[in-house]
Amino acid sequence: MTRVVGLPVSPGVAWGPAALMLQRHPAMRCGIAASGVERELGRLDQARDTSATQLRAIHARVSQRAGAELASLFEAQVLMLDDELLVPRARRIVETDRVNAEWALDRAFDEFCAVFAEVGDEYLRERRGDVADVVGRLRRNLLPEAAGGSRAIAGLVTPVVLVADELAPSIAAQIDPALVLGLALETGSRTHHSAILARSLGLPAVARAQDVTRQIRPGVLVLVDGDAGEVVIDPDPDVIERARARRDRRSASVGVSATRAAGPVATADGVPVRFLANIERLEELDGARAAGAEGIGLFRSEFLLGGRAIEAFDEEAQFRVYRDLVERMAPHPVTIRTFDIDESQIAGGGAGEPGPSRGPLGLRAIRLSLGHRRLFEIQLRALARAGRHGAVRVLLPLVSSVDELREAKAALRSATREMDDAAPGAPAMPVGIMIEVPSAALTVDLLAAEADFFSIGTNDLIQYCLAVDRTDGRVAGLFDPLHPAILRVIRDVIRLARPRRRPVALCGEMAADPGALVLLLGLGVTEFSMTPAAIPEARELVRQVSMRDARRAALRAVRLPTSRDIAALLAARFPALATWPAGRDGRPHMEGQS
Amino acid sequence: MLARTVTIRNALGMHARAAARFVHAAGAFQCRISVTREDRDDRHVDGKSILGLLLLAAARGVDIRITADGTDEAEALGALCRLVDAGFGEEP
Repeated sequence: MTRVVGLPVSPGVAWGPAALMLQRHPAMRCGIAASGVERELGRLDQARDTSATQLRAIHARVSQRAGAELASLFEAQVLMLDDELLVPRARRIVETDRVNAEWALDRAFDEFCAVFAEVGDEYLRERRGDVADVVGRLRRNLLPEAAGGSRAIAGLVTPVVLVADELAPSIAAQIDPALVLGLALETGSRTHHSAILARSLGLPAVARAQDVTRQIRPGVLVLVDGDAGEVVIDPDPDVIERARARRDRRSASVGVSATRAAGPVATADGVPVRFLANIERLEELDGARAAGAEGIGLFRSEFLLGGRAIEAFDEEAQFRVYRDLVERMAPHPVTIRTFDIDESQIAGGGAGEPGPSRGPLGLRAIRLSLGHRRLFEIQLRALARAGRHGAVRVLLPLVSSVDELREAKAALRSATREMDDAAPGAPAMPVGIMIEVPSAALTVDLLAAEADFFSIGTNDLIQYCLAVDRTDGRVAGLFDPLHPAILRVIRDVIRLARPRRRPVALCGEMAADPGALVLLLGLGVTEFSMTPAAIPEARELVRQVSMRDARRAALRAVRLPTSRDIAALLAARFPALATWPAGRDGRPHMEGQS
Repeated sequence: MLARTVTIRNALGMHARAAARFVHAAGAFQCRISVTREDRDDRHVDGKSILGLLLLAAARGVDIRITADGTDEAEALGALCRLVDAGFGEEP
């Protein structure tokens, strides 16, 4: 039994056989049933044949252009394919160890490299590169283009704990909670999309569990403890027994919080507070209602794409999802954010090619939608059609100027002109913007003249204010929701929106932290949208806090120099927060840690 | 069974292309062929396996011992030793 400590990003506990997925070649490494051996052998042979054909073509091309001497390297690579130590070896590994083709190929290459590593000669050790080149080609040919990770997830037949170095949101979006029991990830953070998704699905998850993909072999029993932030490899039976008891208590207590969930909620001194849900799939809607959500504050429409190119999703398909959302959530509003994606999800976007930034400062979200007007109009038409079935609110991501807002609203008008002409008098859908970019936060008063509502996206707002890429583990520690700058910018957004009475909601993960929630209340936020699983606890907290105390604490907090000081202030004024949530794991509050 | 020791002469040693030529030459014969380094005779590799030959990491100046075993062993050994002696047809 080995314990690896990481960051708890989604609560709960789960255990099961491990399946591995590596982002650098997003193939699942997993055990297979006896009946799957033939299929995996067939895949290996097919990859071998495709690789041989490609290498012969390269050989012909290179000998024509650069001469036979240089081209002969590719003859050598063809020989490597059929070498006893490579594809034939991988075939034997599939047969004897019952692992999938990707895993077997990696194992064969690892064996080869292990022997090579013993060789002292630096120059000849570099020859390994030629072999790595061939192995890379085989790997690519094992996978249909770009769909590798998705297909690996879709190909699961028995429940597993997914162990990955990194989990792209588009791949995470395809997770079937019946087949993935929990997540152990080497990277990520609480605010990473994959963690958000795990929480919304109720999947226990641990991020930043160092080296788990190297320490865990496929099929080994792994336990993910999303409360303690621990991954246990090959856990002892008593560890599993305790986990089972904990899980059973938890499912009993969820029932209790769900019954308390009904109806509006107010602070201890009577200020009403609204909780809405962040979701990305239609299936989450019932959970959101059960948790007491008074609407959908954020529907992440890009998850509809599930890693497919945006063109794959036509107006009719989008419309049906949006319509089902509003009809099933009625009478509560449904806020649908337009696609928040980058170029890699536009067909022909050339994912993986070198080029200008695809990062947080690049062409993404509303910028991308405005650049691909036809696709944007398809989405807007689908939204407008759904708007005739209920209360749809359109939310634009990453808006950074009034010009962008105007352009987007013009696109909406042009997309719906025919519809409006055919049936005039339909109520206009409210159009709001995400406050994520500092330039938008600073000009909320200007934007308020033309936007109907605002939603503060704390994840991105913090990233842009503090200049921290939260996906880069080396600086992710600087991602600090209680940084004085963040509290001040949120305070100012509320103030700037007030004269025009534009509602300001907050839809980041920040509000799931009890201390931050108290401060946000104090800063004047009274509408929150969060992952459904976090709503019952947050509602309970709101009931116990008085707005008066929260406001005083916030007034003081925005003048403190560091987030440590702010945390200390919270600890002093709200001592109950330290042990919040009361009764986690089904224990009565008093019995907590001692 | 016949065996002979030859010295790697070409600048690049037994790299991928050289090893491929060796495998092609060896593949023309029926007999079994194994290769080992004179200075480290613990690892015998199959003379018809390109990855095996690469694992020898035989740089210029290394002595390798070629063993041929089968009906055409004499011809095989002669052909392979000539190939190595000729530096695989590359720059010395």
